Amino acid sequence: MSFDVLFNQFMSGIARGALLFLVASGLSLTFGVLRVLNFAHGSIYMLGAFVTYSIWKYLLIPVVGFYVATILASLTMAGVGLLMEFFLLRRLYSRGWPEQLLATYAVILILTDIVKWGWGGEFLSIPRPKPFTGAVFLFGFPFPSYNFFIILLGLALVVFLWWLVYRTRLGDIIRAAASDREMVSALGIPIPWLFTWIFVLGSLIAGLSGAVSAPFGAIRLGMDIEIIVECFAVVVIGGMGSLPGTLLGSFIVGQVYSFGIMYKPELALAFIFIVMAIVLIIRPWGIFGRPER
Amino acid sequence: MERMQTERNPGIRNQWWLALLIAAALFAPFVISEFYLAILGEALIMSLLALSFNLLFGYMGQLSFGQAAFYGLSGYTVAMLLTKVHFNFWLSILAGILMAGILGLIIGFFCVRLRGIYFSILTLAFGQLLFFVIYKWHNFTGGDDGIQGVFPPEALKSPVNYYFFIVIVFILATFLLWRIVHSPFGYILKSMRDNPERTEFLGINIGRYQLIAFVIAAAYAGLAGALWAPFYRSIAPFALMWIKSGEPVMAAILGGPTTFFGPIFGMFLMTFFHAWVLGFTVYWPVIMGALILVIIFFLPGGILGFAQEKWKARKTSAK
Amino acid sequence: MFLQTQALTKEFGKLRAVNEVSLEVRKGDVHAIIGPNGAGKSTYFNLITGYHRATSGKVLFKDKEITKLPAYSRCKLGMTRSFQITSIYPKLTVYESVLMALLSHRKATLSFFSSATRFFSEEVWRVLEDIGLADQAKTLGESISHGDKKRLELAITLGTEPDLLLLDEPTCGMSPEETEITMGLISKLSTERGITILFTEHDMGVVFGIAKRISVLHQGTLIADGSPEEVRASEEVQKVYLGGTA
Repeated sequence: MSFDVLFNQFMSGIARGALLFLVASGLSLTFGVLRVLNFAHGSIYMLGAFVTYSIWKYLLIPVVGFYVATILASLTMAGVGLLMEFFLLRRLYSRGWPEQLLATYAVILILTDIVKWGWGGEFLSIPRPKPFTGAVFLFGFPFPSYNFFIILLGLALVVFLWWLVYRTRLGDIIRAAASDREMVSALGIPIPWLFTWIFVLGSLIAGLSGAVSAPFGAIRLGMDIEIIVECFAVVVIGGMGSLPGTLLGSFIVGQVYSFGIMYKPELALAFIFIVMAIVLIIRPWGIFGRPER
Repeated sequence: MERMQTERNPGIRNQWWLALLIAAALFAPFVISEFYLAILGEALIMSLLALSFNLLFGYMGQLSFGQAAFYGLSGYTVAMLLTKVHFNFWLSILAGILMAGILGLIIGFFCVRLRGIYFSILTLAFGQLLFFVIYKWHNFTGGDDGIQGVFPPEALKSPVNYYFFIVIVFILATFLLWRIVHSPFGYILKSMRDNPERTEFLGINIGRYQLIAFVIAAAYAGLAGALWAPFYRSIAPFALMWIKSGEPVMAAILGGPTTFFGPIFGMFLMTFFHAWVLGFTVYWPVIMGALILVIIFFLPGGILGFAQEKWKARKTSAK
Repeated sequence: MFLQTQALTKEFGKLRAVNEVSLEVRKGDVHAIIGPNGAGKSTYFNLITGYHRATSGKVLFKDKEITKLPAYSRCKLGMTRSFQITSIYPKLTVYESVLMALLSHRKATLSFFSSATRFFSEEVWRVLEDIGLADQAKTLGESISHGDKKRLELAITLGTEPDLLLLDEPTCGMSPEETEITMGLISKLSTERGITILFTEHDMGVVFGIAKRISVLHQGTLIADGSPEEVRASEEVQKVYLGGTA
């Protein structure tokens, strides 16, 4: 196994990890503040991909078309998130986690059929947009330059989220609300408004991830469950409710997936489960997580 | 000091309506057409799946989105033993339940290390993993073609005979579960749902008891799957999908998860409704999803739960 | 040696909630741990019972080191606790709640086919009568009064037939009459059933009445430990707690 092959797989793993981080960070953000795990986060991701496809196909603008579609789709998903929070989640904050989980599970069912009805059951795809159509040669192996786009996007999101959470007033509120909701409310900050915006941001990120994933892989039904399972593996491995944990988890899952594909493609998912199982045995709260008591 | 009878759960013999239902079930083949008999059979089998889910949800307080995995694995076990090896029917059924139980032990071991939403998503994740394995393993399981030609023995081949078989197994299995749920073990489960911390500090290893319950639930789901494959004459990967896992969830919350019979009642309603819906549309998941939302917001305790509340309210106001 | 902690410490990040507390509880005693709010009493309890993991130090019970044991194992060794925020079963009846404790203690939990209510009827009624809740046996935990809930928790703990009973602020939120009844009950448990009782309190009058030994915690540190007279006479205690008056 030569170094160049390994390095190539490693970079693929980074790209995959970056995409995972894009999706998982939105989930982590909403969970950290709202304390609701949006099961349907993967569905918004999937819907984002399909909507991007349709907008792209409709616009037919060369080069820029994809990016425009990405932005529009992300905004649309932010809108979907707004509707979801306003009409559904809001009424569930006072209920227990079973109802919240059941409700978001119901949304997965509904959205999956909406996608089926809107786009049928086929696989769709978008070719890689310019200027990322070609490949970069790493140690003699072609590495799709689009993957670099994903990695850059992932890095940009890390920086953005870090800035948002640690350098802005909103970030202070987010961190305060994550540890003591009543206190924040008592300080006069309207919690419902905060929750709505966080959820909308999370949905925007989900939609964006879905959009950029389109040229990376296939757009199809089942994306929703696949990505939520992988996100969950990220969170289990990296640690619940921790952004550095999400980063580490994304990295690990990305690498396991990449090397798993190289070794035995059908079992790539199983390898992720094995890692998850090991973490669950030795450290159930994740690498960067903290035990509940 | 007078000591009162504290039997909160009257003996099962007191329920006259139960006897009525059993009689109705046994007389059904002589009264209704084969088409409806098939739906009734399906309702009974799927009710076992609903009971399996509710053991974990209504009694233990954990949501499992992966019961279909045990149901499907058992179905595949039975299907493969019957078609590829021409194994004994009765032993195949037992093998199916056993496989489901073993899988329950393995998956459960990991799932009980987590609680609440994490437990739930892990059950979904494992369910999907198993679905994926069976779907991809074309050579062994037939992939998305599934396995066809699964037949019960001659004596049970006729729809009426197999129906009676289902009814008898259902009654026995349900009775057994009733006993389990009202036993000391059942009380531990209830206490784990009601106040897990208190239970832990009474000396109970929560993980261990959750695992036992998980295995029992897996076995019941396995029983449903084992009955299903010869009934439907085939099995396909869809049986393990996350959407299938949603059906017992919906049935339980529709019927009433705080009651023993709620999931059965809910599943009967759902099965007949599903059969009717399939007549004009293939978009069943969206209907399921919408119904779950309706139940959460307008009928939180399910139908029987709602009825129970009303009855209790009447009793206290009459005092 | 019955219960002993050696330099037991708990840190939450930079906050040292319990600071190297070394203390011994003698078998048969009614032993009180007092201190102002935030003194670390509950955290100390949590360390003994296994709710928290100790940062350093040891806990020994009945000559066995239990520092690393999970909570449920410690309970099986014979110690049970009540919580400051009353922890009972809202959806089980009073009878069933006590039954739960007995089922667990008498190791009848892996019985799958017999009806639970056929077990330990005598023992459950005895506990209910001792505590005075027999007339509410059929009432759900959530439907009884606050004071009764505290007594129910006590009943539940008795159901485990413990050798060591840890009560975290047992009279919290009670009226003076209820406090007196509860304290009388605790005293009775010690004398009639021989249970060793360790409890936390900040109502001074309550403590001096029935405790045989008192330990005083202040900001996580043990500042006094001895008989009620010794503690009352301690200058440190007077300064910190009693406000300078004897």
